[in-house]
Amino acid sequence: MAIRFPSTDYFNSLKKLMEADQARFRRLGFIDTTFGVSVTHNETSRDFVLTFEVFELKEVREVEKIDIAQVDFVIAGDAAVWRDMLENIRRNGEADAQHDLNTLAHFGEALKVSYAEPEGHDKLYRFMESIQEFFDLTSQIEVGF
Amino acid sequence: MGYLATTNFFEDREFVDKWLYTIRTGELDLSWMKAGTEKVRPHVENPRRGLIYRDINLGSYGVEAIPEKVRLNRSFAPRGAEIPEGVPDAQPWVSRKSELWAHNTDGYYEEAVTRQWNATTDIPWDRLEGVELPEAAGKALSQLMTFLTEVEMIATDTPATWLPRLNPDFIEVKAFIAAQVMDEARHTEVFRKRALTTGFGLMKASPMNEMALKHLRDADSFSEMSVALHLVAEGNVLTLFRFSEYLSPTDVDKKIFRLVMQDEARHVGYGMQHFKWVLEHFPQKREILHGHLDEAENISFAGGAATELTESFIVLAGGGLKRENIEKGVRITTAFQLKQMQEHFERLEKCGMPERSSVDRSKLWAMFEMGKAAAAEAGIRF
Repeated sequence: MAIRFPSTDYFNSLKKLMEADQARFRRLGFIDTTFGVSVTHNETSRDFVLTFEVFELKEVREVEKIDIAQVDFVIAGDAAVWRDMLENIRRNGEADAQHDLNTLAHFGEALKVSYAEPEGHDKLYRFMESIQEFFDLTSQIEVGF
Repeated sequence: MGYLATTNFFEDREFVDKWLYTIRTGELDLSWMKAGTEKVRPHVENPRRGLIYRDINLGSYGVEAIPEKVRLNRSFAPRGAEIPEGVPDAQPWVSRKSELWAHNTDGYYEEAVTRQWNATTDIPWDRLEGVELPEAAGKALSQLMTFLTEVEMIATDTPATWLPRLNPDFIEVKAFIAAQVMDEARHTEVFRKRALTTGFGLMKASPMNEMALKHLRDADSFSEMSVALHLVAEGNVLTLFRFSEYLSPTDVDKKIFRLVMQDEARHVGYGMQHFKWVLEHFPQKREILHGHLDEAENISFAGGAATELTESFIVLAGGGLKRENIEKGVRITTAFQLKQMQEHFERLEKCGMPERSSVDRSKLWAMFEMGKAAAAEAGIRF
């Protein structure tokens, strides 16, 4: 059965896959960051806060609104952009050169990264490969939109 | 030989007799068992993470035990050990905590250790088999890789130069710097390998870039080196790596840049924390660091705008050498250069030096303002 995006179920599915693939994520190293994911559809946003600790996603919560001071950074974008990225991952097994997070977010044209502190912003890049490979786990699940 | 032992032990009768006496009798001295040191019982706070430096941050072994000016340990003795008479003076250059300390140094080191990667086996080099880039893009990519190899070689040398100069009481900083040296050596390796796998070989060294690199290597103090290397140069390079990832023509290049940016962001993290620390704990250095930043910004501006770098970015961003390609490339590259400057001033502000965001204090800020105005006129957003 397809898991709907965006939802806590979607992120919890990736959490389970991440735990099941410990060798891969241990190889990538410690990941200690809390960040927000915001998905906008018809001018309404659904917001999530993801907390990673040691090698895993420790917790995911859906929130009314992300408090930017309480997270390291927020990745926000239109539902169509997220869908395009996730469908690309499903097709290729991982994001291709046009659909990885940094490419989509670099100039804020597709996804936008916001932050309160530059140190928080830099955490996106300190843990970039782990975060990318976390989203790449989408290739292993059925996703509905 | 730069250092001679204070005794010729081969001719020291008493020393040789004691050695032979121990062999013959098995009679031990055991005075070392009475070392006047603290007994502690470290506890693993999080078994998933293992025994980290923070778990052994206890009593006389902890970082809080380090005074601002370390006068008692000038040897190679580990922090917390009993230091007997007769240890040599290792003549460390940096024995003042605020000259090198940073909040979370141990955390950056632990992160570095677990996030090491291998340029030989973690990059899917085989995917490049049969990939033929167009000549302009291939040469531009190789020029970028040549430039970055040049940068990373000095980024290896510079922190390595400082390692033996740091007082051994600052073990976490020494460990972090040693890990950085390994990171930079791996970056040198991966960029050299990628340059050669483009099929165009290495391209041209950059005089402007090398001037900037020499400035990093020849800093007068550790703090000046850190401000210039970790904060200014690596801050700029972090933005550059993200831009390079964005422009990368293959998923192999994307992977390379994602991995190097992780290391670079960690070094910038240490640099920011150290800069904050030195401004808070050694305020007399503020003006000295302003002076060093004046030159670091001058040189990084020149290095960042070096022909060999700027033009290779323009070609990669525009996708070729036709007029429309060049125009597109200039727009995208200008947006990157302005973003790089913006992030530099954001970092300085957050570290406690907001006054540099002013034409009176920083010539780079004046260039930033000039560049923004020119970009706005040309319809370039960043």
